[in-house]
This record gives sequence, structure tokens and C-alpha cells, in this order.
Amino acid sequence: MSGARRTLGYEATPAFHIPLSFFLAATLFGVGAGLFLLFHPDALDSRWTPGALALTHLITAGFMLLTMLGALLQILPVVAGASIPAVRPVAIGVHALVSTGACSLAWGFMAGSPAALQAGGGLLGGGLLLFLGAAVLGLRRSEASQTTGRDLRIALIGLAATAVLGILLVLVLSRGLALPFAFGPLITLHVAWGLLGWGGALLAATSWVVIPMFQITPEYPRWLTRFWAPLVLAVLGAWTAFDLLGNELPAWAGSMIPMALTALFALTTLHLMRRTRRPNPDASFRTMQLAMACLLGGALCTLVAILRDEAFWPLAAGILILHGGFVSAITAMLYKIVPFLAWLHLTQARIKAPHMKKLLPDLPMRRQLRLHAITLAALLGAAVVNWNGATRLAGALVALEFGWLAANLLGTVQRWRLTRQEAG
Amino acid sequence: MNAPASQRVVDARGLEPPEPFELAMEALADLPNGEVLTLLLDRVPWPLLRILERDGQRHEYRVREDGVVEVLIGGA
Repeated sequence: MSGARRTLGYEATPAFHIPLSFFLAATLFGVGAGLFLLFHPDALDSRWTPGALALTHLITAGFMLLTMLGALLQILPVVAGASIPAVRPVAIGVHALVSTGACSLAWGFMAGSPAALQAGGGLLGGGLLLFLGAAVLGLRRSEASQTTGRDLRIALIGLAATAVLGILLVLVLSRGLALPFAFGPLITLHVAWGLLGWGGALLAATSWVVIPMFQITPEYPRWLTRFWAPLVLAVLGAWTAFDLLGNELPAWAGSMIPMALTALFALTTLHLMRRTRRPNPDASFRTMQLAMACLLGGALCTLVAILRDEAFWPLAAGILILHGGFVSAITAMLYKIVPFLAWLHLTQARIKAPHMKKLLPDLPMRRQLRLHAITLAALLGAAVVNWNGATRLAGALVALEFGWLAANLLGTVQRWRLTRQEAG
Repeated sequence: MNAPASQRVVDARGLEPPEPFELAMEALADLPNGEVLTLLLDRVPWPLLRILERDGQRHEYRVREDGVVEVLIGGA
């Protein structure tokens, strides 16, 4: 037999409160996005309104980025064998810089303030530089070569590319920086790297492990896990080089392969989930299915938006990909990961942990996820009817949805704390 | 690991974490001295191995050709 002496990644597991503080702060950005929409319903008039840009960055640089960085602090040591140096001060620094940066960036878009945009870009850039530096140092010491470890590295490259392009855009907008390439394609590349190169690659790398483990499905096909993320990196790299060298691709041509890769990942995940061995799929399972269906719908709307010059299609694509795809997937994963971490930390401390269903009861989770699905429908409805009343309602639902998510996660923390206290 | 006097097998495949861990711990609590517990799993149970290692419990694991992970715990 082999492997019993292998170094176990869980030795390097950071304290429970480190990823948790990122997850909880992230939900506040979701609440903020909802309140923003409630009081600025004109944000949904088109994807280019200052409000829409502020809203998008509250979700992407606020909710998504914070949860993903928090999850990576947990995942990198366990899955990729990377021991993040000085994890506590790094986490505090990254958390502070990214949170304030995301707030400042959103404020800069909303108020049209160049100073706030620059401060936001600088703070976010500083936070990501700190995170990436620590992750690279940790990964250099790692000997792990599994697919997930490699794909996490690819996601980090995607994050770096997104950040560099974002900072260039901030400098163009706030200081009139003259670039030797066109502004429009730069925005498209920033979005493509952010959603596919960073968010998509991280979602896929996490899914290779989490979907079979928690949703009791067969493993992903080896050909897909072997080639998907490197292909994403190659396609985005080639697209970027092509655009920056002045050979601007037609938008449909540049978008076609990334959309096809998104569809391939989503369809494979849906196919695996249909073959689950779970007798009764729970709410988190259904939400993950919703996420994959929304990624497919979002990819389709993106293609239609390129072919038809109507404000609705890019908005629908954004709502489906961000709220329907990423927020659904992240929420479903948080509901699996947070109680599992609570259970794991109790068990490692030799404390008899309550059943997972006690750490996170089904009912509040199911109700919150149902509200999430209703909110998605309300957002799409508001984009269709383009009426302020409908948008305000959708905004209120978004705020409620994220507030409820925070309350459910805090409930798990409370039960974890009580169990520790009872154990002395 | 020496040949065990007798073996108990717990098939924890197809279960959501941490159920396989809990099943293993229940089975270990009832395991007579010298007996070996064989766990069948879908993947390497890192948290369980970490705790077995910490507690000085004898254990070994291997990944079979069909992808099933076999963990042997206990024994003389």
C-alpha cells in the first residue's frame, strides 16, 4: 500500500475565522448591491449606465472576489498543497484592501469621481498583488501536480490578467491615459478574463472536486478536466495578443470559443448531476443545476447581444451569468463548505461535532435558495419591462436574499461556537 | 500491515461528507483489538487520515485500479 506517509494538506488548514470573515463580508456587498438597485432603479437602463457599472463591481469585485479569495485561502493548502506564508496577516491585508477597493470603485462609477476610481483601482490592485504574491510563494513550495492544483494556478493567472486590464481601464477613464490599442476591445477582454479566465477557471477547478464529493455524482471525464482550463488560458491569451497587436477580431469570432467552452463545462456538469446517486437532491443541488442552466442562457444571450443592437440582451446576459450563474454556484457551495469546515474544525479539536444538518438546518437554507430563484426571475423581469417599480422590487429582493444568506451562515457559526463552549 | 485475525468492511461509497468519516469513527469505536477495519471510499479521506495519524492509529490506504479507495485501519 502507498501514500500513508504522504504529507496531508489539512495540517495547513487556516483557522475557521479566516475564510469565514471573507464570506460574511462578501454577503454585505450583496446587500449593498440590492439597496443600490432599490434607490437607483435607472441602473438597469443599459449595461453602460454608471449605476450598472457600480452594481456590476459590487457583485464581481465585492461579493464574488471576496468569497473566491476566502475560499482559495482554504483550498490552496488543502488541494494544491500550497502553504500560504503568514496566512493571518496576509488575509487581514487582502481583506481590508479588497473590501475598501471594491467600495471605492463602485462609488467612483456611481459618482463619476476619478479620485475614487483611482483609489479603488489602487486598493484592489494592492490587495490582489499581496494575495497573488503569497499564493505564488505558497505554490512554489507545493509539489502537487493534480489537475485541480494546476487549474487553480490558471485561475490565478486569469485574476492577474483581469486586474491588470481593469487598472488600465481605470487609468484611461480617470486620467485620460492614452493607450496604443482601442478602448472597446480592452473592456471586452477585461470582462472575458474576469468571467472565464478567473471566475470560470476557479469555478471549474473547484467543481472538479466539490461536485462529485458533495453532490455524489460520477467524476468529471478525464479529457475535460485535463484540457478545459489550459484551453481557456490559451484561447484568452491568443484573443488578447490578437487584439493588442491591432488585429481586432470581430466580436462574434472572439466570443465564440469562450462561449463554447462555457457551454461545454455547464452541459457536462448538468449531465453528471443527472446521474447523481443522491436519492433526494437537496436545495443546494437544485441551485447548482440552476447555476449551470443560467451559464448556458447567459452564453446564448451574449451571442444574441453581439448580433442584435438592443439594450436588453447584454443586461440579460449579465444578470444570467452573474446572479444566475456565479451567485447561484457560490451560494450553493457556501452551504456545503461552511458547515463542513465548522464540522471539520470541531472534529480536529477532538470535539464531538453535531450532525451537518444541525450545523446548517435544511429549512432556512431551502427558503433562502427559493428566494434567490425568485430574485433572479424578478431581475430578468425588471430588465424586460424596464419599469422603475419592478427594478426597485428586484433590488429589495437582492438585499433580502444576501441578508438571509449572511444570517444562515452566522447561524452555523453560532452553533459551532456553542458546541465549542459546551465542550469546554 | 500484518495479516489481520479478522476483518470488518464498511462501504462508505456514494455518501456525502462527513458521513463516511462518521461511519468510520462509529465502526472504529466497536472494533475489537487486533481486528482490521476496511473502508471503501470514492476518494482519499484526508481529514480522516490526518486524525488517525494524530491519534497514532495504524492505517494504510491504496487507490484500486477501479478508482475505489481502500483504507485499512487497526490490526496488530
